[in-house]
Amino acid sequence: MKKISRRDFMGYSMKAGAATMFTGILAPTATSFFGYGGIAEAATRKIKPFTFAVLTDAHLYDIKNHKFDGFLEKAVDDINKLKPRPDMVLYAGDIGQSGKEAELLKGKKILDKLKMPYKVIPGEHDYYLDMGKAWRGLFGDEHWSFDHNGAHIIGMNSILVPDFWSMAGLTPKERMGRMEELECHRCGLWGVGDKQLEWLKKDVKNLSADTPVVIMTHSPLWNYYPRWNFQTHDAPEILAILSKFEKVVAIHGHVHQVVYNKMGNTVSAGLLSTSWPWPYPPVDLPYPDIRMNRVDPGDFEDGLGGHTLDVTAGFDGTMNYRAFSDLLPANVKRGIKL
Amino acid sequence: MKNTKTILPVTATGLSVFVLAAILAMVAGSAIAKPPRTEQQMAQETAAYLQSVAKGDALWHDGSLGTNGLACGNCHPDGSASNPHTWPKYQTNLGKVGTLREMINWCITVPMQGKPLAYDSEDMIAMESYATYTHRGVAIAPGKDEQHGAVPVYGGPGYPAP
Repeated sequence: MKKISRRDFMGYSMKAGAATMFTGILAPTATSFFGYGGIAEAATRKIKPFTFAVLTDAHLYDIKNHKFDGFLEKAVDDINKLKPRPDMVLYAGDIGQSGKEAELLKGKKILDKLKMPYKVIPGEHDYYLDMGKAWRGLFGDEHWSFDHNGAHIIGMNSILVPDFWSMAGLTPKERMGRMEELECHRCGLWGVGDKQLEWLKKDVKNLSADTPVVIMTHSPLWNYYPRWNFQTHDAPEILAILSKFEKVVAIHGHVHQVVYNKMGNTVSAGLLSTSWPWPYPPVDLPYPDIRMNRVDPGDFEDGLGGHTLDVTAGFDGTMNYRAFSDLLPANVKRGIKL
Repeated sequence: MKNTKTILPVTATGLSVFVLAAILAMVAGSAIAKPPRTEQQMAQETAAYLQSVAKGDALWHDGSLGTNGLACGNCHPDGSASNPHTWPKYQTNLGKVGTLREMINWCITVPMQGKPLAYDSEDMIAMESYATYTHRGVAIAPGKDEQHGAVPVYGGPGYPAP
């Protein structure tokens, strides 16, 4: 636990009702007072080691032979060729670009080529044309959990915003159009909402503190850059619910870049997209050494890629970024400890 | 008068230069004599500029410049990584020292598969207005191989201050 900047602190502490929980999660001196576990330490319970793959942010368009189709296909192909084969694939949202069923269907057809089971959560680009109707029809529940080799794996929908469209009289297409813009300043801050928080509480209620937990959301569970919704406004509540565990690994899409942070017992890593990379926002990174290199605009595959995550018996994770081009500094290329 | 004496006899060209200089001085004098711009005028000029920024903002994000759905904003949210403060500079994908406008047209024609804008068109100027506006206050660094995020924006409804 280090380098939580003042900005992060201010960001968290402003969330209504979360200030006390925040103290419990992020201030190491307060952990013993609250009875919480250690900080990102390996879980004491031994699990059966496993590897899973992660893909995200394909942003497929409803245009025939669009170049992004090929990038997702390339990532799927890459994962299929891995030996040993990963146990499963998690997909962190934004299969489509404009929420059209045709985009989601195209993505599903490509993902169905995976030779292992996969689980998907929605991103805002999948969602705001029909409020997730087509997505749910194709991929099922927006939040879910399952156990694998002794670890508990959770996926949640973190892109929910309060209704900004009804009063403004926006059509579904206009609503989607606004959400498609990363810097949409009329759309509000994303979160998982009270219903999912209640579900999460019940979901982890009977799990012992030494259970290794992996949680996947579209947006990061820390206050990175709210302007681009590089945040989840009720992340402090999520982290508080998960604070009883010895260790939580959090992975997220949306940022289209390598980024890393630690929040109390939780280690967080951002993912590469298979569409386009995003430049770093104009704020300091909490861990400036864990980043990707500047991208070459002349190389359309630069900045893109997939991932595998190795999980050891003691729940030490290693995030392996599988960049399509020469993107990663040596320390990131070796894999990032989670 | 001392100067006049030395210049006047020189040549006919010298004389015409002197006359031209005198006329220019009179014009300049009248410009100086003009009263300062009013606050209203200055507000109108700023508004005209911001209108160009707003037009650029729309073009940057609406995808109308491309044919494959992509907009500049896909890769350059808030204008970031357009690095307007670093141009002109050598750019690998241009293969020469180029300008921001050339890079804008490269992005429109190559990744976005659209038609290039005329360099002096209102749309191109609007694009430049937007890119520079999102980097206001950043020190100019021509030729520098530097990537700069846009000016941090925290404002707007729902967005907390840092």
